[in-house]
Amino acid sequence: MPADFVPHLFELALVAPLIAFVLAIVLRGGGNVIVQALLIAGGLSGIAGVIEVAMSGFPPVAIFPSAHAGFMVTGLSGFFLGLIYIGVILTSLFACYYVPHYQNSYAPRWLNAATALFIFGMEATVLSGIVIGFLISWEIMSLSAYFLVIADRGETSLKAGLLYLVMTHIGFACLMAGFMLLSDGNPWATWFDLAQAAKLLNPPTLAAAFLLLFAGFGSKAGLVPLHQWLPYAHPQAPSHSSGLLSGVMLKVALFGFIQSLSLFPGMPLWYAITIMAVGLASALFGVAHAAIESDMKRLLAWSSIENMGLIFSGVGAALALATLPASPALAALVAGIALFVTLHSFNHMLFKSGLFMSVGAMTAFTHTRDLDELGGLAQAWPFFSAVVLALVLSAAALPPFGSFFGEWIYVQSLAASLTSMPLSLAVCFAIALGCVGLVAGLAVFAFVNLFSSAFLGRARHAYHHVSLGAALPKMPRLMLLPPLLAALLLITASPALFMFMKGGVFVSVPRALVDVSVASGASMNAWFLLWLALALAAFGFLIDALMRTAVRVTDTWDCGAPLTPRMQYTSTGFASPIRFFFRALMATEKSVVAEPIAPGNPWIARRRLEWTVGSVWEERVYRPLSNGIMYVASLITWLQSGLIQEYLILLVIALVITMAFAL
Amino acid sequence: MNIVLVVTQLLIVLALAPGVLGLVRKFKAIYQNRVGAPVYLPYLGLLTLLRKQMTITRHSSWVFRAAPFIVFGTAFALALLSPSVMLGVIRPSADNFFLLGAILMLGSVFLVFGGMDTASTFGGMGSSREMTLVSLLEPSLFIVAAALGAMAHTFSMGGMVSQFAATPSLIWIALPTLAALLLIILAENARYPVDNPATHLELTMVHEAMILEYSGPYLALLEYASMIKLTVMLLLVMNLALPFGLLAVPSGAAGMLIALVAAVLKLVIGAFLIASIESFVVKMRFFRMHEYMSLAFLTAIFGLAVAILI
Repeated sequence: MPADFVPHLFELALVAPLIAFVLAIVLRGGGNVIVQALLIAGGLSGIAGVIEVAMSGFPPVAIFPSAHAGFMVTGLSGFFLGLIYIGVILTSLFACYYVPHYQNSYAPRWLNAATALFIFGMEATVLSGIVIGFLISWEIMSLSAYFLVIADRGETSLKAGLLYLVMTHIGFACLMAGFMLLSDGNPWATWFDLAQAAKLLNPPTLAAAFLLLFAGFGSKAGLVPLHQWLPYAHPQAPSHSSGLLSGVMLKVALFGFIQSLSLFPGMPLWYAITIMAVGLASALFGVAHAAIESDMKRLLAWSSIENMGLIFSGVGAALALATLPASPALAALVAGIALFVTLHSFNHMLFKSGLFMSVGAMTAFTHTRDLDELGGLAQAWPFFSAVVLALVLSAAALPPFGSFFGEWIYVQSLAASLTSMPLSLAVCFAIALGCVGLVAGLAVFAFVNLFSSAFLGRARHAYHHVSLGAALPKMPRLMLLPPLLAALLLITASPALFMFMKGGVFVSVPRALVDVSVASGASMNAWFLLWLALALAAFGFLIDALMRTAVRVTDTWDCGAPLTPRMQYTSTGFASPIRFFFRALMATEKSVVAEPIAPGNPWIARRRLEWTVGSVWEERVYRPLSNGIMYVASLITWLQSGLIQEYLILLVIALVITMAFAL
Repeated sequence: MNIVLVVTQLLIVLALAPGVLGLVRKFKAIYQNRVGAPVYLPYLGLLTLLRKQMTITRHSSWVFRAAPFIVFGTAFALALLSPSVMLGVIRPSADNFFLLGAILMLGSVFLVFGGMDTASTFGGMGSSREMTLVSLLEPSLFIVAAALGAMAHTFSMGGMVSQFAATPSLIWIALPTLAALLLIILAENARYPVDNPATHLELTMVHEAMILEYSGPYLALLEYASMIKLTVMLLLVMNLALPFGLLAVPSGAAGMLIALVAAVLKLVIGAFLIASIESFVVKMRFFRMHEYMSLAFLTAIFGLAVAILI
């Protein structure tokens, strides 16, 4: 049993953002340092609570029991709370420098207030034990996220915010309908009541509830086809808020989905296949766009869609395996995929918030997010670039970073399951394995593109204040620290999590330095890999020390004519093969525009290439849908005659119909 | 893990690697009715490079200097971990197929960084192409791993090779999978029909365009790394296809000698195979690479279907 003070740790973590919210409004200039310190303190107290609870094997802990809000920490919510707390600590640390730096672009008071309320909303959503509490907290989270999106009050932000607001409320409506179907209209039902009530429902109702909940949580998590808002909205927020939105809020949607899945009495196979297919489609679509995107923050937002898609496909795969007749081998596979979902949720939070903050730190000095203009930052900021490199490699799921271990378990479990399932399901899993391979490959492409365009070579364009070649100012320590912490956690956290899971939730008895058996014939050892990497690094330094050759610093080989920075490959050029190979998926449009210079002579013209990357979903799904609605609306315009008598008749008819239904 | 045996295997692979490249060139020369350079020329080439002065472009950063070490480190790790000369000396969690695939990818990524850090168009061109190739190969690699795993009931490469050695009939089932693996290896090692390692025009190249700006010892590291990579992957395919002479239980000097001779023999056959492919196949246009990748993927899927159904 955890000690008596443990509930108070969580209570402190929940109340701190509320106090921060009030202080942000009351204090002059948003009281930035005090607000951020409070948020960090709340996060630290929460972390302490999570560790304490995890040590004693996640017994349920009631928070504010006298308030009858049903706030409860369980195993599942404990993990996601820990994820929120770490994300909050990192981003609040970053905001200490970032918010004052941008006090003219954002209103610090309202930004901090919205951030604090947003954090409160996320924590309360995860803690809620009853439907109405969950929905209210969810709405607090969604609404305050809207204010984060429109924080710079620009035209683009307002447009993106509006799109977000509409989409999130479509999702909210789906959620409400889904929960009401399950609870038979009782908003005060606890999760336990819900699970009991769901046992009495007939399959079609359950299926409807499942689809509604999947749509609701999927729209928040950025799954296709309801992802449309995410690549617009997330990049518009200030960088630390983007980190919270992409790294943490999407995980809250995942939490909600997993929790509501546990309410269903049984899982037909088609639920699982649907989740898997939608997840993989999102992952593929997101990563393809990430690979060709040249706006850094949008690239990160597309990659969030990809990662959430992968995680959801993992949830689907685990559910599909769970429908098969039980056996120890299958149980190991399900546990392996569950471990992937856990590890990847955690690692995605780390690298995504770390990368959003790094991009924020870069743009604070270069004043552009466009990869086609950046370049050469590794020379200006060697240490910072090493930190970003670590984050980028981990976003590409390469060893020895934590995200690699997660994906490693996932592909091994998928591959190992093929021989122990019926053929039709094996076909699905083989396709899934191929898709995951493509997603993994293109994710590497996207992040290599990000790092090499921004940091390597020479600056492709003069930065707004800094002339080409002149040194950029030093990276402030406070901006460097949070990404650095994220990178360090990425290296160490996953191997540590292996031990953390001891005797517990996901794998059976893994100990440090011992191979973990993922499935039959598949084992892995995270520690061995870290040691190998360390040993190889030491070996490399040794070679470097021994190899003392004369070095001559020269220009890049230029074939005899001077090279200019504009001759380098840009990010757009780098991604051009991918754009070509996946042109069916992208809806790319390309045209050469010719503007005649001399009148009367069409041959002397200034020509330029114009190309846009559209959205297939917008063209094939959203546009026809809105056209359809407009068409139906135009069919019933004859009702609008403008005569007051007719409107009165309509009113009476409506009343009669309503009465007929109600009675 | 027996440290002595692990180190012996590593040293054998490291020592044979330049010779494999020399052999491929020699066989190609024979196909073209030329005498060709001696097989030991790559050894001399590496030694010459080690003694040369280096030029480093002023537009590059620390990444450019770190890349050769990391690329070499990944090749070194491949040589250390894969079951190339003997079996049972590496623990099964360390020579996992997916792990080696990821290490391979890490090496490619740093090669790309090295190419992009030169601020040269050639470097960027090679980098963009290399990154496209390796990222599109990933699905085929995963499917091949799944197929081999389905046949051998393990994802450890040592386990796969010993399973293939124990049941010789497995090779017939594994034929399409091995063909897919061969396609992957040709692309990963910048050979025909994906890349031409011996052209005189940088515009048509992938691997050589990326390392264009390197010189001296750094170039030696990168060249050596690509030789090691080729040798290790060739030995892997050969060990699956012709699993003879592998030292299952380490048995003294005589057993070691057999293993060594077997490894050399397999490398000669492999080098001849590559030289033959390069002499009868033309290089493909880069923007037709998706056809090659689709071919590799479909072959891999076919191999997986065969492996599961039979």
